[in-house]
Amino acid sequence: MKSFVLFFVFCLTLFFVNYETEGISLANASVASALEDLGVYDEAKKPNYTLKNVSVEAGENLVKNGFGVKPSGKKTKKQSKHFVCTSCHNVVKEDIDLSNPDPQSRLEYSYEVGIPFLQGTTLYGAVNRTTYYNGDYDKKYGDLVKPARNNIREAIQLCAVECAQGRELAKWEIESILAYLWTIDLKMTDLIFTPQEVSVLETSSSSKEVKQNKVDIIKSKYLKLADAHFVIPPFDRSQGYEGITPDPFNGKLVYEQSCLHCHENQKYSYLHLDNTLHSFKYLKRKTTRYHPHSLYQVTRWGVPVRSWKKSYMPQYTEEKLTNQQLEDLRAYIFEQAK
Amino acid sequence: MKPILHTLIFLFLAFSLKGQYNVFQTFKDTRVINVHSTEILKAGRLDFRVGHRFGDMAGDAGGWANFYGLENASDVKIGFEYGISDKMMIGINRTKGSSDLRQNLNALVKFKLMHQDVGTGTPFSLAVLGISSYSTMPSGAPGTLSEFQKGVHRASYHGSFIVSKKVSYRFSLQLSGAWTYRNLVQQSDRNDLVSIGAAARFQMTKSLGLLVDTNFPVSDFRTSENGFYNPIGFGLEWDTGGGHIFQLNLTNSTGISETDFIPYTRSSWGDGEFRLGFTISRQFTLN
Repeated sequence: MKSFVLFFVFCLTLFFVNYETEGISLANASVASALEDLGVYDEAKKPNYTLKNVSVEAGENLVKNGFGVKPSGKKTKKQSKHFVCTSCHNVVKEDIDLSNPDPQSRLEYSYEVGIPFLQGTTLYGAVNRTTYYNGDYDKKYGDLVKPARNNIREAIQLCAVECAQGRELAKWEIESILAYLWTIDLKMTDLIFTPQEVSVLETSSSSKEVKQNKVDIIKSKYLKLADAHFVIPPFDRSQGYEGITPDPFNGKLVYEQSCLHCHENQKYSYLHLDNTLHSFKYLKRKTTRYHPHSLYQVTRWGVPVRSWKKSYMPQYTEEKLTNQQLEDLRAYIFEQAK
Repeated sequence: MKPILHTLIFLFLAFSLKGQYNVFQTFKDTRVINVHSTEILKAGRLDFRVGHRFGDMAGDAGGWANFYGLENASDVKIGFEYGISDKMMIGINRTKGSSDLRQNLNALVKFKLMHQDVGTGTPFSLAVLGISSYSTMPSGAPGTLSEFQKGVHRASYHGSFIVSKKVSYRFSLQLSGAWTYRNLVQQSDRNDLVSIGAAARFQMTKSLGLLVDTNFPVSDFRTSENGFYNPIGFGLEWDTGGGHIFQLNLTNSTGISETDFIPYTRSSWGDGEFRLGFTISRQFTLN
């Protein structure tokens, strides 16, 4: 009995001991693990490895190549015959300051590091975001966005079926994609901290206030959602958007980082575009008209899916292409078409 | 023979030019007008094709009487082709046929062996084509080529090597060497026939291109004195941008299939025996 009482007292003591929390490492740590150390968990987003065939490799294959590979080496049926995830989404960081994503900085950064400038938000850090299909996407997909908005698995499935116009993903495929997305989650080194913030984060303290302060600092350094606002084309397409002085060089970056990503050699479209006079003249001819293939029409409203032609072009939201950039693109096309 | 030699020298000189542009789509379609191009359907693409050759526009059989040939059909082709991979396609089609062999079922396979690439220094594209044709018509009158004493007499074959080069973003050239074998021929003819083909494309705008192609059968028997002429075609190609190519052409060949127009073109441009034709190609992505 005596030993039992002693053991009970020992356990009780342990329970009340207040350990010091160590300072947060800013090197090579993931944002999620740093937050977990501070007591912020999101278990629901963790992949379910108990399902058969779930693996990071299968997820990466699905995202980049459109099919999964089972451990037996057997390929699954292609998810979509039109697109893969990387048609519209990067899988690397595409903004320098994740707390303030800006299309122009993104364009310049994309050019600098050699990645495309796309309609979709990068999948890098997707697991760190809390909501999906934000803003005006309910105008496009209606009630379909409701289950997807707060559930990453539903968001992946919606993207597969509606955005990629492909088959439904099996549960193990969604879990595999999730497993892959966790390999490209945000890292602490991606976030920009002031020296004062660094000193707070590196402080060892058990205080609840300090912990919450650390959580707030970390969460303020990236956006929890990628907002999306649809923009209408200019009323007078021959004039374009008003009050803008275009920069053709900037337009060249848009053309090369964006248009050619999908259209060069008919990569994801039947329309082939390149750097020849033919392409520029073709685009110029359509731009100023009220035509379904006008530059304004396809960038702002996209190209719709048809029953016999499911391959389509998603539109650029305000957050992905500014009116200034669109006018820059127009100026570049017109300059090259001379 | 001299004009042919001059043409070949010109074409080979053009082939030695250094490409400066993207080598995507040396030709927009898997055919130029009559001849195959080096283009291959992308993997998973299904191409539904319809080809039509009307009657003579002018000459004795043309003119107002049959509305410049539009009321006649020399040959009609309907078929499907499919890209097995980015380097191999297969196809099957039915042609009405314009020679002694009618109601033909044709099968084809084409491989792309080389692709012109400025980056890697590959100077031209190379494809190899195989076609087999089988006439399903009832056996005809004795002594004609359609008197099929054996089933194999209904068959004919065609194989060719095709070399093409995109010289500039506007201009493409192609040469081909072909061998056509017919199981049943006239006594004065030979079963096998070697021919040389040449084709060119000039892209006027993003969607409109001008085409020309011809074939030179290498045969002492195939002379104008014996009533044979080289098939020569001119075409206007319209790429609508949605996987749909429409082509209008003028050609003196009555047949559409290689086993037909290479050995059996008996119509002469000089005599007004040319015709309007069209080809519709509609591609679908299957997987």
